[in-house]
Amino acid sequence: MKLYSLSVLYKGDSKAILLKAAYDVSSFSFFQRSSVQEFMTFTSQLIVERSEKGSRASVKEQEYLCHVYVRNDGLAGVVIADNEYPSRVAFTLLEKVLDEFSKQVDKIDWPVGSPATIHYTALDSYLSRYQNPREADPMTKVQAELDETKIILARKQNSCCEIM
Amino acid sequence: MAESTEEVAVLVQRVVKDINNAFKRNPHIDEIGLIPCPEARYNRSPIVLVENKLGVESWCVKFLLPYVHNKLLLYRQRKQRLNKDELVDVTCTLLLLNPDFTTAWNVRKELILSGTLNPIKDLHLGKLALTKFPKSPETWIHRRWVLQQLIQENSLPTFVKKENLATFLTERVQRIVQEEIEVCGEAAGRYPSNYNAWSHRIWVLQHLAKLDIKILLDELSSTKHWASMHVSDHSGFHYRQFLLKSLISQTMTDSAVLEQSPLVSEHIPDLPKDDNEEDTSAEHHRVVDLSRLLEDEVELSTDLIDNYPGHETLWCHRRHVFYLQHHLNNKLPHSQMRLSPVDSNGGTLHDLNLSPAVTHMTQAMDVDGLNDSNKQGYSQETKRLKRTPAQDSLGIEMEHRFIEQILSTCRNVEQARFANAYRKWLVTLSQ
Repeated sequence: MKLYSLSVLYKGDSKAILLKAAYDVSSFSFFQRSSVQEFMTFTSQLIVERSEKGSRASVKEQEYLCHVYVRNDGLAGVVIADNEYPSRVAFTLLEKVLDEFSKQVDKIDWPVGSPATIHYTALDSYLSRYQNPREADPMTKVQAELDETKIILARKQNSCCEIM
Repeated sequence: MAESTEEVAVLVQRVVKDINNAFKRNPHIDEIGLIPCPEARYNRSPIVLVENKLGVESWCVKFLLPYVHNKLLLYRQRKQRLNKDELVDVTCTLLLLNPDFTTAWNVRKELILSGTLNPIKDLHLGKLALTKFPKSPETWIHRRWVLQQLIQENSLPTFVKKENLATFLTERVQRIVQEEIEVCGEAAGRYPSNYNAWSHRIWVLQHLAKLDIKILLDELSSTKHWASMHVSDHSGFHYRQFLLKSLISQTMTDSAVLEQSPLVSEHIPDLPKDDNEEDTSAEHHRVVDLSRLLEDEVELSTDLIDNYPGHETLWCHRRHVFYLQHHLNNKLPHSQMRLSPVDSNGGTLHDLNLSPAVTHMTQAMDVDGLNDSNKQGYSQETKRLKRTPAQDSLGIEMEHRFIEQILSTCRNVEQARFANAYRKWLVTLSQ
């Protein structure tokens, strides 16, 4: 079970803006890594654009599972994992990261930010720690909430992924 | 850009030479890959060497592969001569692009048999090919041929006898076994449920390591973490089932043999103090607590099923382990659950006749189709299970409680489905 990317974005009115991202493409073959990373950046952005504010979803794309959480205030997070990684833990991670991010980075910077200008450095270590899901904090709170949200498993036919 | 035959020939020669030079420049190349690159950049070689990774730009493959392929076929048809070095280079290039080209491996077999190619080179080439083609059947098949050559033709003993007549794998064989295990592990990580890689690993344990108990135990503990992080890898868990079954067959024996064998004793014999071998020999005579191993495996299964809901592989694994437990309970009277390993001289393995049981299990996996026709799959073993002592029904009861606990707390639809299927299977066992 693997995590490949963890990104924080801002869902603007027309498009999604990447604020910060961390990647682990070490399990891919050497010459594929840069194009895989590009794919993940692009996919994360697209998924946030097509997701409603205040929603959580798990979108299946090829053999990857993209877990997205868009908060009501427009702050969004995407975790791209394989299909073994428990989605419950992925959403715990997203909740935690967005919470911390919103405390460290001023809201006013979100709509105009970019990875170069945003000061938030914890993504890499989160990605690394959560490679083993047992590192996750107790999940009971998130578990209860998850029951009420809709988890969408979208395949290529779904309009969200048509462009992929 | 139309390529004339001459231009192609020149290009190919250059590429083959570049690959050869890359290996000479960097003997530590550990990975090959294809670089998506639709067009050639002016006058630059398509062979790229970065750190220890060898890349081939994709544009050249459509020229390179047919040309080299054809060259080899012409050689095979005796229409073109190639000297030894050319053959080695051509087959190497071919196999890095398409390792399932059996003819190329066979040419190398001939070179090995005639003594002009070192078989170790083929192990190295195969390992590289597997970084890009981790399943490649022909690569694994050729690898087994090479290993058999190394073991047999060099007349190196697999076993070494010590004073107390116990046998150990020679250091050389141990090294080869460890290397193969590493290759299999890497390939298993590159492709999910890599059946070919895990089958090779099993073959290595059977034919090179001769099911040495220490190695079986080491493998059991060293694959535990991997399996826990690959909960849908059916082949990985099947490997653990193989290890457990082999441990059972290697440590158990009929009571008749137990009495006759002078090697099985109740105390550990005095061994000469030997710096290297002391620990190995003590472990070799270690008592294998089979029921403890199986209990640990059930615990692992429980832990994984609880933490990672909805993976059929885990439930399938649980059935196998549960079945092994009950088979073990039947084989031995309760007091004899611990046994010392009998000297395994590479002789006949004790046949536990597990296959009919496995057939029964596979039939029972069909959740929707559980009906009376399954009773046709009942074997002698299964009938014996019906007469299980009280201990067995306690085990089944505990499993039912486990299923109840899962069903009452799980929110995952698949998990509930698997739990119910498992319950149905348990019921058929105790009928």
